[in-house]
Amino acid sequence: MSWKAYDRNQPVMDPQAPPVLTEAVREKIRSFFPRYETKRAVLLPALHIVQELLGYVSYQAMKEIADLLEIHASDVLDVVSFYTHFANHPKGRKTVMVCRSLSCELMGGKAVLEAVKNTLQIQEHGTSTDGQYFLVTEECLAECDHAPCLKINERTYHQVKATDVSRILADEKNAELSIARSSLFDPPGH
Amino acid sequence: MVLQAALEAGMDIPHYCYHPSLSVVASCRLCLMEMKVPDPKSGELVWMPKLVPSCQTPVKEGMEVRFNSPAVQQNQQQCMEYFLLNHPLDCPVCDQAGECYLQDYSYRFGQPTSRMVEEKLKNPKKDVGPRTLLYQDRCVMCSRCVRFTDEIAGTHELTVVNRGNRAEIDVFPGLPLNNPLQGNVVDLCPVGSLLDKDFLFKQRVWLLRETKSICPGCSTGCAIRIDHNEGVIYRLKPRFSPKVNDYWMCDEGRFGWKYLQDGDRLTRPVVRRGGEVFYPRWEDIPEIINYRLRKLAEQQTPTAVVLSPMLACEEAWLIASYVRALLPQAVLVASWLPVQGAEQNFPVGSPAEKARFTIRPEKCPNRRGVELLINKLGGASSTLEDLIKQVKEKKIKAAWITGGYSQRDWVSKELAAAAKELELLVMQDLYANALTDNSHVLLPSCCWAEREGSFVNQAGLIQPFERAVDGPEGTRRDGQYLYEIAGYSGLYRAEKVRERMAEQLAEFRDIYVAPDPPEHQH
Ligand code: SF4
Ligand code: FES
Ligand code: FES
Repeated sequence: MSWKAYDRNQPVMDPQAPPVLTEAVREKIRSFFPRYETKRAVLLPALHIVQELLGYVSYQAMKEIADLLEIHASDVLDVVSFYTHFANHPKGRKTVMVCRSLSCELMGGKAVLEAVKNTLQIQEHGTSTDGQYFLVTEECLAECDHAPCLKINERTYHQVKATDVSRILADEKNAELSIARSSLFDPPGH
Repeated sequence: MVLQAALEAGMDIPHYCYHPSLSVVASCRLCLMEMKVPDPKSGELVWMPKLVPSCQTPVKEGMEVRFNSPAVQQNQQQCMEYFLLNHPLDCPVCDQAGECYLQDYSYRFGQPTSRMVEEKLKNPKKDVGPRTLLYQDRCVMCSRCVRFTDEIAGTHELTVVNRGNRAEIDVFPGLPLNNPLQGNVVDLCPVGSLLDKDFLFKQRVWLLRETKSICPGCSTGCAIRIDHNEGVIYRLKPRFSPKVNDYWMCDEGRFGWKYLQDGDRLTRPVVRRGGEVFYPRWEDIPEIINYRLRKLAEQQTPTAVVLSPMLACEEAWLIASYVRALLPQAVLVASWLPVQGAEQNFPVGSPAEKARFTIRPEKCPNRRGVELLINKLGGASSTLEDLIKQVKEKKIKAAWITGGYSQRDWVSKELAAAAKELELLVMQDLYANALTDNSHVLLPSCCWAEREGSFVNQAGLIQPFERAVDGPEGTRRDGQYLYEIAGYSGLYRAEKVRERMAEQLAEFRDIYVAPDPPEHQH
């Protein structure tokens, strides 16, 4: 054929590659099975677990999750690509989400964003050279009463000043939550 | 649902995502209508301010809806504008042009010009499987194809990736669309997004003529349509048949007919007499056969008639009743059965009683028809294996054997060896084989698409099929020459012969013809 067509018959991953999901991760995913009627329902928790482990959900990981949940890999791809939260390509381990919506914008969100960019020396959707941070902007983090806001993984920072940014980013434990995580992420016993 | 009822009433309601055999998602919003609901205060029925999808609203007693209001028409226009936002204007090179619902609906319901001044999003073409191409930029995201692989095939290859205006149809890379029913997604796609590689750029669809037929690929007997132009077949498509195949057909049937276009078909009658070979004219065949068979009758030669499951009922009846008229003792034998693989039920893994589509291992269309005929005509009958024995024991000395299989190697060594012992072998077949080479009278056959008649499927439905094209030059339709051999004159019409049959065999009175779906449903 004389035009360009993407060939989807060929796998994008090496069929001989060793599995990326460790037994511990598989076990953690399996521990969600009793909670739901179908294994398919465990897809979202599984994706959270894997993204936390690898930093992203690779095609290889999608296939392995599909096998574990006894669904088709295309269904996993469907969900991964639907949510911007999940990435199918490598990115920084921690995701910095800066709010770009109305309340934060009024309260100086732009300056915060600029400060993050300057400190990490990256643009939006960029990963810092040390592989630590990945930067995106988000549409309202639902914390308008504490604008401007910024989030690192699941931890939210309220009323951030541009001058605070470098201190927050320098803190090793800046993504750690002070409260227990929802049992959606960490089932009891894990 | 209101949409289905409206379509059945003959209305042309635009719709993309709705399909009567798939789940309802109400995502395209083209079919929205106005509906009356009780006013919360007065309880009186009033027009609801919001439009509702007619494909998702069940019909209720006393309900009032309308499609001809300005609000509904405005919605249709706006939807069409949205569908066409990023759609390329490539109809001249698009295979779907002429049977495209984007074309039809923009003409009927859309606007003549586009207000879009920005650059269009250009989505890539994707090779999603061995038989199918996906032109992503033409897709309207109705998700019919995805629901087909989920709900009918049960193989889940196709999926929606990304979301909103970036949504695309795709497969998981390396797990292409490759199930035995995948040709159906091309039929389902209302636009030119999913295309059949086999048909790609072969014909403009408005040049094609349609003939109603029955697929001869297996004993399911799907209702199909043969699309042909100037005597050449280009593609097969399923026809709606609620009792048999619903809206679907399998790829084996869809693409498995190509053998009939091979160049090495038998095309002229041959007579062999004592080592000499003659090529008689078709006109002389009835006399030659009559003469030979009368001689058998005079000498009371034990004779067998081997009826192939590839024959139409009418043809089998013509042969059997003609031979029996001369030789009342003639033995009727059901010929070789092509059986291959196991029964495949869909959705994959579902039990037979829940299956929405079944591909059967019996790869011929009319075993039941031939058996029914042999039973009802009564008298001596036998099996092919016994026949071979009887020939060896000289208990049968003459035979009329019919083939017509796509399998060129259907003649077993035993059958070929036995045939050499026969005093007279009349043979009907498509391709040369050990039997045709040793026959005394050879009558070339035509393929099912070149004939007319009826097949009895595995469920016992008698389904008529029509002739689409002529056989290769030199051939004659089996029905025609059998008709003449049997002593009738004029044009062979399967329907007439069936009427005659029915006088004798009441079973052939009830034929099953699938109803046409509503004109504007797709
Ligand atoms: S490819 Fe065709 S059937 Fe599939 S979503 Fe797009 S328009 Fe619908
Ligand atoms: S606008 Fe920033 S959190 Fe709502
Ligand atoms: S919303 Fe009714 S047909 Fe698509």
